[in-house]
Amino acid sequence: MGMNEETSNCTICKQPLGENGLCQHCDDDTHIWTIQDWRPLLTLAMVIALGFSFTSLVVSSYNDKQKELASEYYAAGLRAMDAKHAPEAVDAFETALVYSRDNFQYRLKLTDALLAAGATSEAEAQLHAFWEQRPGDAQVNLKLARLEAKGGHVDDALRYYINAIEGVWPERTDPITQRIAARFESAEYLIQLHRQEQAQGALLALLAVLPESSPEQVRAGDLFLRNGDSGRALTAYQAVLKRDRNNAEAVMGAAKASFAAGNYLAAKRYLEELKPETVESRELRIQLERMEALDPFARNTTERIRTERTMAAFRIAISRLAACGVPFAEAMSGAGKGSNAKDPEQWSGFAKWAEQLSPMMRERKLRGRDDVIESTMRFAFQAETAAQKNCGQLTLNDDALLLLARERMGAN
Amino acid sequence: MKPRSAPSRESLLKLMATPVRRKYFETLRRMLGPSGLISIREEQFFLVLAIAIGILAGFCVVVFRVAIAAARLWLLGSSMHPSAPRVVLVPAITGLVIAVLAVRFFPRVRGSGVNQTKGALYIYDGYISTETVVGKFVLSALAIGSGQSLGPEDPSLQIGAGLASALGRWLKLSKERLRLVAPVGAAAGVAAAFNAPITAVLFVIEEVIGRWSAGILGAVVLSAISSVVVERWFMGDEPLFRVPPYHLDHPGELVAYAVLGVVGGAASLLFVKVIKNLRPRLRRLPQWSQYLQPGVAGLLIGFIAIWYPQVMGAGYEWMDLAMHNRFPWTVLGIIAGLKLVSTALSFATGTPGGLFAPVLFMGAMLGGSVAMLEQQLFPAIAVPVGAYALVGMGALFAGILRAPMTSVFMILEVSGNYSIILPVIICNTISYLISRGFQEVPLFDLLSRQDGLDLPSLEEEREQAILRVEDAMRPTMGRALLGDESIASARSIAASTPEEQFLVSLGEGRWSVLSRGALMDPANDASAPVRVLIRVRVPRLYQDQSLDVALRFMKDRPMLPVVHRGNLDLLMGVVSVEDILRTYRKAGLAEPETAEVS
Repeated sequence: MGMNEETSNCTICKQPLGENGLCQHCDDDTHIWTIQDWRPLLTLAMVIALGFSFTSLVVSSYNDKQKELASEYYAAGLRAMDAKHAPEAVDAFETALVYSRDNFQYRLKLTDALLAAGATSEAEAQLHAFWEQRPGDAQVNLKLARLEAKGGHVDDALRYYINAIEGVWPERTDPITQRIAARFESAEYLIQLHRQEQAQGALLALLAVLPESSPEQVRAGDLFLRNGDSGRALTAYQAVLKRDRNNAEAVMGAAKASFAAGNYLAAKRYLEELKPETVESRELRIQLERMEALDPFARNTTERIRTERTMAAFRIAISRLAACGVPFAEAMSGAGKGSNAKDPEQWSGFAKWAEQLSPMMRERKLRGRDDVIESTMRFAFQAETAAQKNCGQLTLNDDALLLLARERMGAN
Repeated sequence: MKPRSAPSRESLLKLMATPVRRKYFETLRRMLGPSGLISIREEQFFLVLAIAIGILAGFCVVVFRVAIAAARLWLLGSSMHPSAPRVVLVPAITGLVIAVLAVRFFPRVRGSGVNQTKGALYIYDGYISTETVVGKFVLSALAIGSGQSLGPEDPSLQIGAGLASALGRWLKLSKERLRLVAPVGAAAGVAAAFNAPITAVLFVIEEVIGRWSAGILGAVVLSAISSVVVERWFMGDEPLFRVPPYHLDHPGELVAYAVLGVVGGAASLLFVKVIKNLRPRLRRLPQWSQYLQPGVAGLLIGFIAIWYPQVMGAGYEWMDLAMHNRFPWTVLGIIAGLKLVSTALSFATGTPGGLFAPVLFMGAMLGGSVAMLEQQLFPAIAVPVGAYALVGMGALFAGILRAPMTSVFMILEVSGNYSIILPVIICNTISYLISRGFQEVPLFDLLSRQDGLDLPSLEEEREQAILRVEDAMRPTMGRALLGDESIASARSIAASTPEEQFLVSLGEGRWSVLSRGALMDPANDASAPVRVLIRVRVPRLYQDQSLDVALRFMKDRPMLPVVHRGNLDLLMGVVSVEDILRTYRKAGLAEPETAEVS
C-alpha cells in the first residue's frame, strides 16, 4: 500500500505513517500501482506497438489506393481538357481531389477546368483561397492575373503579374522559363492596354533576362514592334539572325521593323531573303512596291517616270482632299460630295496651293522643273498628313504616300 | 591492440559483488520493488492510461475511417457519381444485411453512440461490451460506406469509449475510475474523428459528463490530444475543411449572418421534430419490420441519390465543394432539404451511424444557399459563400445537438479560421435559442427517453438555478462574541438574547461556536477571556458559496458563520442545517415525470 516499513514514511507523500501503520495523508482506499501491476502495462505497450504497425500497414495500402485513383482521375481530367470537354474535366478533377485532397496541382487544374467550363466565380473563389494560403505562389498569381485581366481589373491584374514574376515557381516547371513567360504575358497585356511606357519598361526588363540565344527573342522583337519601338525590335531580330540566318520569323520581323523605321530599302532586302513568300511578306512587298511607284525621288529614275509619279501623287492627294469634302478639290476631282470640311481655313490653304500647282501638272511642264516636283510632292505629303488627322479611311495609295512622307520629310 | 572478450558470468557476478555495485543494484531493486519509487497512485496511473486510451482510440478511428472509405469504394465505386442501379441497390441491400446483423448479433449498436456512452457512465458503471465496439465499427462502416446518410464521428465516440471501457476492465480499475474511463475514450474518439481536440473535450464535458471536474478533465484532455496526434501522424494535419479567405469588412454584415442563425434555428427545429415523431412510429411497427427498415431507408435514399448523390454518406467532399461556390442557391437548398429527409430516414430506422456529419452537411448547404440568396438580394453586402457555409454548420450543430460551446469551437477547429468567430457566435446563439424556445428537450435526451433510459439532461442541469448560502442565511440576533472579551461581558450579551449557540470571533478570520451552557457555567472565571472556553474552531462560509458546499461543511455543527470575503472578521449572517433544508424545500424542482417524453 505504498508504505515503507524501514523508514516509517509513506512512499507516496513522504509523510510519517500513523499509529495504525497507514498514511494519514493519503487515501487508504486508493489503489497503488507498483511494478507488480505493470505487467499489464507492458502488455498494453505491446498492444500499442502492434496497433501502430497494423494501422501503418492499413493506412499505407489505403494511401497507395488513394494515390492510384487520384492519378487515374487526374489523367482522365487532362484527357477531357484536351478534348475540350470542360464539364467532364471538372468532374474528373474534383474526384481526383477527393482522393488526393492536398494536391495543389490538381486544384490548379480544377480551376483551369472551371474557367474553361465558364464557372468563373467558382474558379475565382478557389484561386483566392489558394492565394490566402500561398500568397507567394507564382502559378496562383499568374492565374489570378489572367482572371483579373479578363474581368477588366487592370491594377489587380498587374499586381498579380508582378507577383507571378517575382513569386515561387515549382522546381519541376523550370522557374526561369516560367518567369520569362510571365514577363511576356504581362508585357503583352500592357501593350493591349496601350500603356506604352509601362509596356516598354516591362519589355526592357524582359530583354535583360532573356538570353541572346533564346528563340524567344523573335517574340520580344514582335512585342517591341507592336509597342512602337522598331529599333529595339530590329536588334532583337538581328540577334536571332546572327545565329540563324534562315529564321523566317526573324527575317520577316526584321523586314517589318525596318519598314516601320522607314528604312524601306532594308525592309526590301529582308523581304528578298525570305523564301518562300508568306501572306504577310507579300502584303509588305506590295506596300513597298506601291511606295516605290509613287516616289519621284528614287534613285535611277528617268525624267519621264519622275514626272509621271509626281502627277500621280498630286492626283491621289486631290482625291484625298475631295474625300475630305474640300470644295475646290471636289471640283478638280469631279467627286461632288458637298462640303464637310472641319477646318475651312486649313483646307482653303490647300485649295489655293493646289490651284497654283494644277496648271503645272503636265509632263512637258514638269520636265526639268525639280522645284515644282518638290513643291508638288510637299503638297501631296502635307495634304495626306492633314487628311489622316481629320478625315476617315485611307486608301492603299494614301497609305503609301504617307509612308513616303514619313521617310522623306520625317512627317508624322 | 588486443580484442576485448565478452565478460563471463563469473566476472559479472564478481563485479556485482563489489560494495559500490551492490549498493547500486540494491537501490534499483528498491525503486522497482513493490513499495518502490515508481509505485504510483491510481489517479496518477489514470492519466497515463488516458494517454494509452488516446493512442489506441486514435488507431481505431484511423482504421475506422479507412474501413468506411474501403466500403465506399467496394460498394459504390470510386466515382462521385455512381451509376443509378448501383446507387439504388447498394444502400438497400446493405441496409438489409446491417439490419440482420444489428437485430441478431449487435443489438446495442443502433443509433449514434452518444447516448450509449452516457448510459455507460450513468447506468452501467462504465461498461460497454467489446462486441458493441466491434459491431459499431463494422456496421457503421458498412452503413456509411454504402451511402446511408450518416457520419463517422458519433460511432468513433462510442468506439473510443468502448475501447477505454475494455481497457479499464482489463486493468481492473476501481469502480469509480471505470465509470469515468468511458468519457475519456469518448473524447479520444471524437477528437480523432474531427481532428479537433478542443471540440472533443468540450463535447464530452458539455454533453457526456456535464461538469468541469479537475479529476477527469486532465485525463480527457490527455486522451484527446494523444488521439489527435495519432490521427495527424497517419492522416496529416490539414483541417477538415478548407475555407476560402474571410474577413469581416463591416459590422453591419453581422445582421446578414443573423438571418442565417434564424434559418438554422428553424431547420434545426424541423429536424428534431421529424426525428421525434418518426422514430417512435417506426419503433412501434412489428418486430419483423426491424429487418426491413434500414433497407427501405437505403432504397429511398438511393432513389434520391439518382438525382442528388450528395445525400449519400457523410458528404464531406460535397461540403468542400459547397464552400467554393460550386452549386447555385436553389440546388444547395434542395440538397439541404433532401439531406434532412435522408438522415431522418437512416437514423430513425436504427441504422448505426452518427448525426454529426449530416448535421454539418445540412448546415453547410443551408449556409451556402442563404449566402447566395443574400448575394442576389443585396449585392452591396459582402457575402462570402464559404464563410456562410461554415457558419451554417455551427448554427445547425448548436440548434440540433444543443452544445453551444462545442459548436463554436468546433467551427474554429475544423476550419482553422479564427476570424470567423463573431458570426459563428451570433448565429449559433440565435439558432440555439430558437431551438430551445420551441423544443424543450434536446435531441439526445429525447432519444434516450424514447429508449426508456432516464439519463440526466445536462442542458437541464445547466439551466437549474444554483442555491447559494445567501439564499439560506439569516441575520444574527446580536453581535458575535469576541475571543478577547471577558466571560462576564459575554454573559451579559447572552442574557439579552434567547439564542442557545453563540458565534465567537477569534480574530484573523477564525471563528468558533460556544453553547449557552458552556458560557454560563459558574465554574468558569468571569474575568477570563472567552477564548479559554473555546475547544474547536468552525469553518466560515461566504454568501456566494453553494448550499451544497455549506451542507458538506455543516456536519453536526449547530451553525456556521457567513463572513465577508473582504473582511473575514465581518459577520454577514449565520446558517444552520434547518436554514439549508428550508431553502431547498422552498426552491423545489420539477418532478421527472413532468419532463417531456415523446
